[in-house]
Amino acid sequence: MIFGRHSVLKRGCSTWDAQLVPQAEFQARLEVMRKLMAQLNLDALVIYGDNYSFADLTYLTNYFPKVRGGIAVVPAAGAISLLLNIGSRDVPFAKTLTWVEDVRASNQVGADAAKLLKEKGLDRARLGLVDSGQGFPLPQLEEMKSALSRVTWENVHSLFQPIRLQKRPCEIAAMSAAGRLLKEVCDGAAAFIKPGRKEYEIVADIDRLARDKGAEDIRILAGEKRLNPPSFKQAGSVGSHWAVYLAVQHERYWAEAGRTYITAQDATLENVYARAQEVVAAMAKQLKPHRTMDAIDDIARRELGEFYAAASMYGIANGIGLNQWEAPFLNEDDARQVGALSVGATRLDENMTVALRVTIATEGKIVLFGDSFQVTAGGAKSLLDS
Amino acid sequence: MRDNGLQTLLVHDSGRHNFLRMNYVAYLTDFISVGPETILLVPLDDQPVLYLSPVWDIPRAQQESWVSDVRPFKEFRSRLPNVMGKVGLIGREAMYVDLYEEIVKSLKQIPVNAKDILETMARCKGPFELERLRRAAEIADAGVKALHDDARPGLKEFELAAIVEYRMRSLGAEDNFGMVVANNHNQALHPATDRLTQPGDIIIGEITPCIGGLFVQICRTMVLGEPPAVVREKYAILHNAMGLGMDAAQTGAPASAVAKAINGAFVDAGYEKYCRPPFMRVRGHGLGCGSFAPGSLEEDNQTKLEEGMTFIIHPNQYLPETGYLTLGDTVVMTKTRAESLMRSSWDIYIKE
Repeated sequence: MIFGRHSVLKRGCSTWDAQLVPQAEFQARLEVMRKLMAQLNLDALVIYGDNYSFADLTYLTNYFPKVRGGIAVVPAAGAISLLLNIGSRDVPFAKTLTWVEDVRASNQVGADAAKLLKEKGLDRARLGLVDSGQGFPLPQLEEMKSALSRVTWENVHSLFQPIRLQKRPCEIAAMSAAGRLLKEVCDGAAAFIKPGRKEYEIVADIDRLARDKGAEDIRILAGEKRLNPPSFKQAGSVGSHWAVYLAVQHERYWAEAGRTYITAQDATLENVYARAQEVVAAMAKQLKPHRTMDAIDDIARRELGEFYAAASMYGIANGIGLNQWEAPFLNEDDARQVGALSVGATRLDENMTVALRVTIATEGKIVLFGDSFQVTAGGAKSLLDS
Repeated sequence: MRDNGLQTLLVHDSGRHNFLRMNYVAYLTDFISVGPETILLVPLDDQPVLYLSPVWDIPRAQQESWVSDVRPFKEFRSRLPNVMGKVGLIGREAMYVDLYEEIVKSLKQIPVNAKDILETMARCKGPFELERLRRAAEIADAGVKALHDDARPGLKEFELAAIVEYRMRSLGAEDNFGMVVANNHNQALHPATDRLTQPGDIIIGEITPCIGGLFVQICRTMVLGEPPAVVREKYAILHNAMGLGMDAAQTGAPASAVAKAINGAFVDAGYEKYCRPPFMRVRGHGLGCGSFAPGSLEEDNQTKLEEGMTFIIHPNQYLPETGYLTLGDTVVMTKTRAESLMRSSWDIYIKE
């Protein structure tokens, strides 16, 4: 599966566009979640999120941690609380990113979570723990649980997975906005990628283009022989081509693309790149309701032949949304690599959103093409062209 | 390891890079992982093995680190039952519960938390790290200059932040704990919003480029246009506090001495209550990925400042008349005292 280097701070444009994703949307999501909680006889949920894995926390609250993690406490009835590992002076800013009114600062989330749960009368309750990103720091988790000896804990890490599979209209709108931003970045990047330029200089140009357009976060992997994260050690100069994986987060939602920029006349490279695009197009034809994820894999195997094994290391298809990688996954191995407990769904349905990517490694060079799509009744719709 | 009776060390990293925490795998290998599972297995009397995901990143690990034996993470699972003797674990704090329980089960023992071995080893930077930190400091200074050169009314906050980021990435910075915000009365530092900057805005920044996994931080304040006299007057308190903090940072002194010196400057100026939450808490801190020593500069931190420690001293302060103002330098402890790694002036920068 593809991974970019995770940044220490989500430092891009940090706002809540309440016209794009209004508060009523979160109330609707909360109602759905509370029905699920009732079915499981849960008195409350404790949802962990951090700046690496924030999807479930964000889905209900719109808040996304900028540095360190935090929890949302979602009782079966009554107000949600956010307990965040931030300074108390950071609370007013945190409140601009969420509709939740009760936002608290903590530098010991485990211990303070226990206090908060006691305050809400949940110290003898049946609580669901949601940590789908497996990020709750172990000492903090132990501290919280040990202070609540009468609580019955249920691990419900996958609770959100089914309801986040099919995107709601405003999620599609947010992802389309991310896709349009990404398309502008992909188009603009061509001007920066010139033979002889240092890789990190080009990364700086692409990064700025995305940030100037209001991206919340950016992931870049690039190279001629393999995909590398930005590093001062990757100070080589661009030669005949440059393969780039780009993911942009905007208003919490991700879109990703892969492009190869060929800088010299090289018929072989151009043919390989055209082939990568053809394979993605063939896979995208499977993006229709009721088709199976296996069908995408079958197409990739058939079309890529001997190149399939190398391509599959980077992942060929996965869901995308509040996470760069989320259900549906192509197979259990892909899911496990990102910490998901299952593939999520084996069949596609309308308004699922899927990233497809093909890497072809040949003669010591790598070529990449990829795109993000919405599954519609009429077939795949690129989020970059929406 | 011998001193602690350990036959094997397991050093873990989760790919969740945090500039307030040490990246133990990077410290030992000079490789910064991107995937969620990385473990360096260090036998007492044999070569280390680096296990990581994703598998496509193995060639980069082989190129960037000195460890020659790099393998897919799933091979770690089959190796575990064969690990004998007393085992130490470093990086448990960032480990997820299932992996920890799997390790305990496979080892048939609870590994000793051995993080102090590396925390102690790493607390004073050596020449290799200082070379990178000095380069990062030059880049940080360049980021500040770019902001001075290009900031103007009409830009959005996130565009101001992008100016700094662009300059620093162009010079090789890999990451940045960067917050640049603008307002005529800033409440606090935070990631950039879409607010349009106005004439008279005070721009504050906490700029933290990373080179080779090591961060330096610089904090500065600038104003778009001539500020009211009160801004210069109150900023002078920060300037004074910065000097007092630097003077207090003597080798062998406790970290608390720096915090006390800085707080003293604000107490003398009548701002005692503003030295406590919700306004302020720490007067600087270590910078992670490398060692976070000496920790947070607070009045109860008795950690002795040692030659080679690097950390930021920042008398950043919210003041009711001006809002939040920032000033700070990353310093290195020499044989006798703290020396700044930065060259940018401490003066408030006025952009005409």
